[in-house]
Amino acid sequence: MRSVQDADDLTPVVYRELRKIAAAYLRRERPGQTLQATALVHEAYLRLAGAGSPWQNERHFVGIAARSMRQILVERARARGAQKRWAGLDRVTLSASLAAATDPETMLPAVDEALTRLEAIDPEQAKIVELRYFMGLGIEETAAALGISPATLKRRWALARAWLFRELSS
Amino acid sequence: MSASRWHRVRDLFEAALEESPSDTDGWLRARGADSDVRREVLSLLDHHSRAGDFLADPIVSRAPSLLDEDDVAGAVVGHYRIDRELGRGAMGRVYLATDTRLGRAVALKALAPHLTGDASHRERLRREAQAAASLTHSGICTVYALEEIDGQLFIASELVDGHTLRDEMSRGMPRSAEAIAATARELADALASAHAKGIVHRDFKPENIMRNADGRLKILDFGLARIERRADAPAIAGATVPGALVGTPAYMSPEQLNGQPADARSDVFALGVVIYEYACGSHPFQAATPLAVAARVLESEPASIASRAGNVPPAVGAVVDRCLRKAPGDRFESAGAIAEALRAGQTAATSSAGPAPFIAMWRIHQLATMLLYVAMTTLGWWIKELLKPNAMLLAVFVALGLSSAAAGVMRGHLLFTSALNLAHLSGERRRLRVPLLTLDMLIAAGGVLAGLTLVSVRPLAGVMSAALAVGLALATLMMEPATTNAAFGHGAR
Repeated sequence: MRSVQDADDLTPVVYRELRKIAAAYLRRERPGQTLQATALVHEAYLRLAGAGSPWQNERHFVGIAARSMRQILVERARARGAQKRWAGLDRVTLSASLAAATDPETMLPAVDEALTRLEAIDPEQAKIVELRYFMGLGIEETAAALGISPATLKRRWALARAWLFRELSS
Repeated sequence: MSASRWHRVRDLFEAALEESPSDTDGWLRARGADSDVRREVLSLLDHHSRAGDFLADPIVSRAPSLLDEDDVAGAVVGHYRIDRELGRGAMGRVYLATDTRLGRAVALKALAPHLTGDASHRERLRREAQAAASLTHSGICTVYALEEIDGQLFIASELVDGHTLRDEMSRGMPRSAEAIAATARELADALASAHAKGIVHRDFKPENIMRNADGRLKILDFGLARIERRADAPAIAGATVPGALVGTPAYMSPEQLNGQPADARSDVFALGVVIYEYACGSHPFQAATPLAVAARVLESEPASIASRAGNVPPAVGAVVDRCLRKAPGDRFESAGAIAEALRAGQTAATSSAGPAPFIAMWRIHQLATMLLYVAMTTLGWWIKELLKPNAMLLAVFVALGLSSAAAGVMRGHLLFTSALNLAHLSGERRRLRVPLLTLDMLIAAGGVLAGLTLVSVRPLAGVMSAALAVGLALATLMMEPATTNAAFGHGAR
């Protein structure tokens, strides 16, 4: 497997491609349906997997794609949060914190920052969160992508959630 | 934390999850974990147990709504050209668009498909939009048309360039008496014009009120609440699920919270809440969660608006207090009655510059009680002169005189506070309530005692003294709470 540095260099390419495919998906989709992350990544992989593509295999690619997904969604949430909210349309709550807890516009940037701190301590933990939370991969798929057993993955995922939960609730 | 330390924490955390020991701390000690590692593992386990479904739903499932670009500019829908998105919410999205036939800018609201799914629902929506379109008051955002384009419903309405009352309120305090009066009047007038046509808003709240560039208030989204309510679960049920909050119970009347149909008097309640919040900067039923707010709306009496903000015009205060009554029958019949009451209040205020009638009653009560003190003391002095000097009588007289003086000063202080610093009145009243009650009872007891001493010598004077004393006691125990309630609202003391 390549180093993290290499993967980061690849991110912009994947990012652009994912964005394009996602937009195409969204235009086709009916509201309320779930974006199939795996299908999306697969499509991006096929498109980018021409000759001389720098990643070794789809598994490697998934890791980069998850990182891109994180960037795309966090960036979007930041922009959305900064947008001036138009009257009478936003969900209105007296308890802002209650709503903020599940409002991606508010929560994602905070999760992202905490995740960056976690990454400094344990890069694998951050990878797990990217694959599970930002990419929507299942336990098995995530475990396969990281080359660890599903049982271990489950426990490490629990650790990552506990760590992030503590960061965000303090 | 060093990498090796972190790995130690991680491995212990995982092992603890696996084995779930009953005494985790002891279990960690047995594995030779030092205090820092133990603390970290315990803290993480604790947060693990409380994390619930935190991050359990992949955010990617929300990607459609997050990623959906606002690349709608230039899109053409029927005879509208979309310029940009203005916002989005539970009901759908709102775009700034141009009506190409008439060449004017409009707000185009695309109703979310889940709201317009079945035919009966669409029909209802059509009727509501028709009703709303018949409203032409300058204080109501005009609905131009309900359009059905490619099976998607749109409401085209007047474009209001400005900010919401919520924005205005979040910019802070204080607001002048004139601003409060003008806001109350404008909102009541606009709402009254709708009520006169039998149209009820049902979701009147600061987010649905905008102030345009000219400073005029405009009410948005008439009648749409019913559609939204129907489409989603009951509003309160939604409040238990964070993120599923549709609307807020904060502006719903007790009957709406109880699931009864809303009428004009529900709007009246909501108007009361909005004016209260606008004037005081805080919600009358403020609580930590929407459910707690709902409970307060149903059960507790709000502090009188006059006690929360000093510069509320008395007429506005009286109107708001009545709007907030629990029973619809105790409120104004419709916003029209509020508009009238506000106008009458303003005329009264400008003609006599006097306070609200109930406050006046309360003041008269204070004055009358002060006069009663003087009468009691004078009577006491007279009784003391009539009878042979005697230590007991002297003591009663001195007590009477001192108590009267003290109570008189206190009531005078309240009177001045009510005239000069209304905002502090309720605090002062609370502070002096027990001392005043005690002094009044002391004076009354003195009066009765003196009267009884005298009654064998001078029956008439004796009875008079005792009667005055009983009168004072009753005035304090019965009349004063009633006038205070009338003047400052229920629950005021």
